[in-house]
Amino acid sequence: MWFFILAELLVFGVFFLAYAFARMRNVELFNASQLELDRISGAINTILLISGSYFVVRAVDQIRHDRSRACAHWLIAAMACGGTFLILKLVEFGAKFEAGINMSTNTFFMFYLGLGFFHFMHVILGMVILGAVALKAWKGGYSASNYGGVETGAAYWHMVDLVWIVLFPLIYILN
Amino acid sequence: MKYESQAVAKPYFIAAIGLFLGQILFGLIMGLQYVVGDFLFPAIPFNVARMVHTNLLIVWLLFGFMGAAYYLIPEESERDLFSPKLALAMFWIFLVAGAATILGYLFVPYATLAEMTGNDLLATMGREFLEQPLPTKVGIVIVALAMLFNLSMTVLKGRKTAINLVMLVGLWGLAIFFLFSFYNPGNLVKDKFYWWWVVHLWVEGVWELIMGAMLAFVLIKVTGVDREVIEKWLYVIIAMALITGLIGTGHHYYWIGTPEYWQWWGSVFSALEPIPFFMMTVFAFNMVNRRKREHPNKAAVLWALGTGVMAFLGAGVWGFLHTLAPVNYYTHGTQITAAHGHMAFYGAYVMVVITMISYTMPLMRGREANSPVAQVVEMWSFWLMTIAMVFITLFLTAAGILQVWLQRVSTEPMPFMAAQDQVALFYWMREVAGLIFLVGLLLYIVSFFIKGKAATAT
Amino acid sequence: MTTATFQWLTLVTLTALTFSVAETGLSGSSILIPVLLATLLKGRLVIDRFMALQGVSGPWRWVVLGWLLLVLGLIAYTFLYS
Repeated sequence: MWFFILAELLVFGVFFLAYAFARMRNVELFNASQLELDRISGAINTILLISGSYFVVRAVDQIRHDRSRACAHWLIAAMACGGTFLILKLVEFGAKFEAGINMSTNTFFMFYLGLGFFHFMHVILGMVILGAVALKAWKGGYSASNYGGVETGAAYWHMVDLVWIVLFPLIYILN
Repeated sequence: MKYESQAVAKPYFIAAIGLFLGQILFGLIMGLQYVVGDFLFPAIPFNVARMVHTNLLIVWLLFGFMGAAYYLIPEESERDLFSPKLALAMFWIFLVAGAATILGYLFVPYATLAEMTGNDLLATMGREFLEQPLPTKVGIVIVALAMLFNLSMTVLKGRKTAINLVMLVGLWGLAIFFLFSFYNPGNLVKDKFYWWWVVHLWVEGVWELIMGAMLAFVLIKVTGVDREVIEKWLYVIIAMALITGLIGTGHHYYWIGTPEYWQWWGSVFSALEPIPFFMMTVFAFNMVNRRKREHPNKAAVLWALGTGVMAFLGAGVWGFLHTLAPVNYYTHGTQITAAHGHMAFYGAYVMVVITMISYTMPLMRGREANSPVAQVVEMWSFWLMTIAMVFITLFLTAAGILQVWLQRVSTEPMPFMAAQDQVALFYWMREVAGLIFLVGLLLYIVSFFIKGKAATAT
Repeated sequence: MTTATFQWLTLVTLTALTFSVAETGLSGSSILIPVLLATLLKGRLVIDRFMALQGVSGPWRWVVLGWLLLVLGLIAYTFLYS
């Protein structure tokens, strides 16, 4: 799993740097386009992912004390955060599409939509992983002595969070 | 060999090697035509030789994959093949259809062939690598579906392992993506867009699953390393191959009229495509180093290691060389592409099929491994073919660099044919390397007929 | 209050700070360094505490932290020299 997480970080890292270097050559366009973003939605989404990560930490803590049900509850709470993130993101993207903006509008929006969509897919995958772990935890598949699966799922979810923590200031804030 | 029905792989492998020889002969004809333009004209024009060279490659690799699947799936599932008769029938259908198609290419003008085979009903011909007449394409689908039915039934009723599941998913993907060869929109951009769904998603997508499964299977057998370890590697490798390979399709969408964002997506994802190949190399060497037994079939181990190295060099490194959009802007469609194509196909797919043949053929002929003498000859063929291919690639790369320089970078660009004249020396050297490759291949074939005292396990 | 809760509150506060800095309408290098530092701190919290990589032997922690530093460092470079 860690190989996988590193590979994902590598892909995102390359994209972040591609954004940063592409911006160097076209600062005005990037700054102007950035003003059209919904910064509030981006900030709320950051809080949601951070909270989701926090809930996952609590879930791991619960299973260490052999409380399977409580572990599953925290995981479901984390998934709820993820789900809300997805809804907000869809509203945000929907507004952009309505305004006639798409990946071909300009390089900034190519990155904004492309990276956003790519991250979006990772949130979905992360939720699927958390869901599978939660289900197994609910059924009592983990215990205080055997919870490697919970930790692995948690690590993936934190990775999704980590990527967003960099993505948010980079695309929404810095100009 | 654990199950009688696995023997159905044998005719597939024999046909594969036969067609391989044909492919190389046509490659040599074509290589000579690069420098002696009217060689064998008008009997075998360049475009026909090229079509035969590439189509034979695809067909013999398919024979190899099918044979490998018919051998590997029953063994992994721990039961006999669902229907060996069906598998054998499909072999003959595929062989006859394949031979008829090649003869059609050679003896009938392509336009007439298209007319004769109903291309006006559903136009699918005339596109690189998908030149096959409609009946052949339909035949490929039928053969593939019958094979998938046969193999899926075997797996469903038997043991399910990572290896046979990955193999099966790969083969299903192969069949599904081939269906895009029937879609031929009038819009040239769309045509090319979906054409890559067959070509790219085969070789840089689902074929990698097939390759990974075959390599993992042979490595389990020859090293005795625990299945859990090998399966973990296999999962990580195919996950990486799919992540990078699927969106990596974008590296074909730079200049064909598709939106500009593909230059970013294609560059970033395809730049990471070497990673799974690198992991495959590490995987192969790691497993062989941790081996728990000394398998008497040394040649098979050599091929398996060779696959890892050459696939990484050919597909990984040589692919990376020209995959970034700003580089590809200059190198697109030059001899650099040809260099990459040669080493990637040889290193990844040719070698993995030979690895499988090398491991299974002795077993199907009733011994654990060939005699030491036969193995020595086989290893000679390994080195001859592999080194010849390295040189073919280097010469073509040199030709490509010169070509890019003269024809694209220069302030006064040369016309295509004038630039070709300038690189003729490299084409001559490539042809010589090709002849050495042929010698290697002939030695490989000879190694099957060498008797001698059988090697025993140590 | 558990440590994790405290860490979570820190993350939320840093996000709020980042957001409000942007809302003030300031731009350029005056906000670049604070925002990137906040991001670095957030990233480190997630990596070391949430992913629990602090104290793990082997290269994992340094590879992930190195990724964060490299990405943020190069971002700083491109923003400062553009």
